[in-house]
Amino acid sequence: MATLELQNISKSFGQAKVLHDIDLAIRDREFVVFVGPSGCGKSTLLRIVAGLEEATQGRIVIGGKDVSRAHPLDRGISMVFQSYALYPHLSVFENIAFPLRVAKLPEAELKRKVGQAAEILQLTDKLQLKPGQLSGGQRQRVAIGRSIVREPRVFLFDEPLSNLDAALRGDMRVELAQLHRKLDATMVYVTHDQVEAMTMADRIVVLNGGRVEQFGTPMELYHHPASKFVAGFIGQPNMNLLPGIVQATDSGGVTVELAGGPTLTLPVEPRGLSAGAPVEVGLRPEDLGLGEGLQMQVRVLERLGGQSITYGAVGPLDKVCAVLPGDAPIREGETISLAINTNACHLFSADGQVSRRLAAPALVA
Amino acid sequence: MMDRYSKLQLVGIYAALALFLTFILLPFVEMFMVSLRPLEHLFSTPYRFWGDDFSFEAYSRMWQTVPLLGRYILNSIYISGMVTLITMIFVVPAAYAYARLDFPFKNMSLAIFLGVNMFTGAVLLIPLYRVLRTLGLLNTYWSMIVPGVAFLIPTGIWLLRSYLEKIPRELEEAAYVDGASRLYTLRRVVLPLAVPGLIVVGVAVFIGAYAQQFLFAITFNQTREYQPLPAGIYEFIGYQDVTWNEMMAASLTGVLPVMVIFLFLQKYLVAGLTAGAVKE
Repeated sequence: MATLELQNISKSFGQAKVLHDIDLAIRDREFVVFVGPSGCGKSTLLRIVAGLEEATQGRIVIGGKDVSRAHPLDRGISMVFQSYALYPHLSVFENIAFPLRVAKLPEAELKRKVGQAAEILQLTDKLQLKPGQLSGGQRQRVAIGRSIVREPRVFLFDEPLSNLDAALRGDMRVELAQLHRKLDATMVYVTHDQVEAMTMADRIVVLNGGRVEQFGTPMELYHHPASKFVAGFIGQPNMNLLPGIVQATDSGGVTVELAGGPTLTLPVEPRGLSAGAPVEVGLRPEDLGLGEGLQMQVRVLERLGGQSITYGAVGPLDKVCAVLPGDAPIREGETISLAINTNACHLFSADGQVSRRLAAPALVA
Repeated sequence: MMDRYSKLQLVGIYAALALFLTFILLPFVEMFMVSLRPLEHLFSTPYRFWGDDFSFEAYSRMWQTVPLLGRYILNSIYISGMVTLITMIFVVPAAYAYARLDFPFKNMSLAIFLGVNMFTGAVLLIPLYRVLRTLGLLNTYWSMIVPGVAFLIPTGIWLLRSYLEKIPRELEEAAYVDGASRLYTLRRVVLPLAVPGLIVVGVAVFIGAYAQQFLFAITFNQTREYQPLPAGIYEFIGYQDVTWNEMMAASLTGVLPVMVIFLFLQKYLVAGLTAGAVKE
């Protein structure tokens, strides 16, 4: 097992620069997820770590050793591809054994290792089948099996669950988290799905336009997003962003008048904001509740049983979302009043920078 | 949706097909008819398309008229087989390189390969003759095999390249990450998956070699024992007369092996020739 450091990584394809000075230090045995919208460079970054792509600039250090120019094998990494990349003409056994055959391992040891991997992944009775005879989840497990037999120091996953249906994805998420615990390995996982990131990661790297927006634990990202982008990307449903104008600031908070709504005093650091500055107030749908405050005209009501998700118009915005109790006494078309918990509000300046919240919940380590 | 035709359209389509096939197949029909009739019938005037004394006699007599006929047929198969084998040895790594690697002048050299295909062997006969003479290959099997290989490599590369490009790149990347060398990957991953493509290219090359050997045989080879069938058939042209019926019988017999191969493999051939035409 090993630490993984990315130092100053940049990557250009011709004129287009897709990664800008990425600096990350991933700890031993950590599960780190790269997340971001498509085209943010997360897969390219993973391929650079894998050695499939060469960085234009910067260094990759694994376990204290510079491996920027090393072959994937010498980096001690293994990779699970989005399409599984199983060899269709080989049996499950041969697929898993492939890296060991390349390494010319003695037959007995090879059998033992493949058997072990199959045991961990519950594939023992599938070893003689061809990949074409397996379900999506089983194929995924074969791909993982092929990556674990070599006992690499760092596992890389490139959107491994994106080809599975929603139910299976949930199961595989749990399996992968358990696998991480069982193998006690450093893992880097790329996804565009923030739910996968939140549920599996020890720490998350949010990438946007080839830059690291934030690197932190899921709860850090949730409670202290570093920018409007992270705030909008993390959390389901997405955070509401209400435009407003700063009325006054002092050390205890910032007073903001929401467009077409009430005036609030938010407990955040003023951070260079002054009266008259245009800002956006970020409010997570789950932090809104019934009570005095915002007037919202309910357009769509989704009753999920445990909770009711409502979308409606507030002032100039026509798509504000609130998560209310499952039995909330509301109907589509009517106007309801929502209470705002100012302690839960985020404040973003016009350039997307965030003001640090003073009343955010303490983070669980 | 696309294959819904009205009755009238179907009639039209089949009529066009029939016309087209008539042009292609009628010579074969006539060959067959000629091979079944005694020689004197063929010179009767007025010419009759139908006779009442059809027999397969020519098919047995031809072996006596031209004693080496069996050898010629085997030569044809041997030459085409060798051409196919050697061509494939060159084409497989070349096509893989064109499908996967980046190197200078890649597209230009591919275009040149295509350009070479536009020349028929006939244009290059004299230079080729000199080359083969310098190499001391005249009047050997090699004089027919070497030019055959040279002319078929470009087609082979183009055909196989488009097939190899369809094999997902991730499979090779996975093998690379697991430490496999290029050649190991080619042998254990790419080629097993390319078997249908290899069959297509192999058959196309074999047919090409079979068709083109005549030209090389009559120019570069004087040794009777090495002649392939198309050249050997000349022996049916005697000093006195031409035994047309036996010649036709021999031609049909000689085409038979190719026809049989083609029938067995045409499923692959059709699939392969259109490979890459449609994005899947």
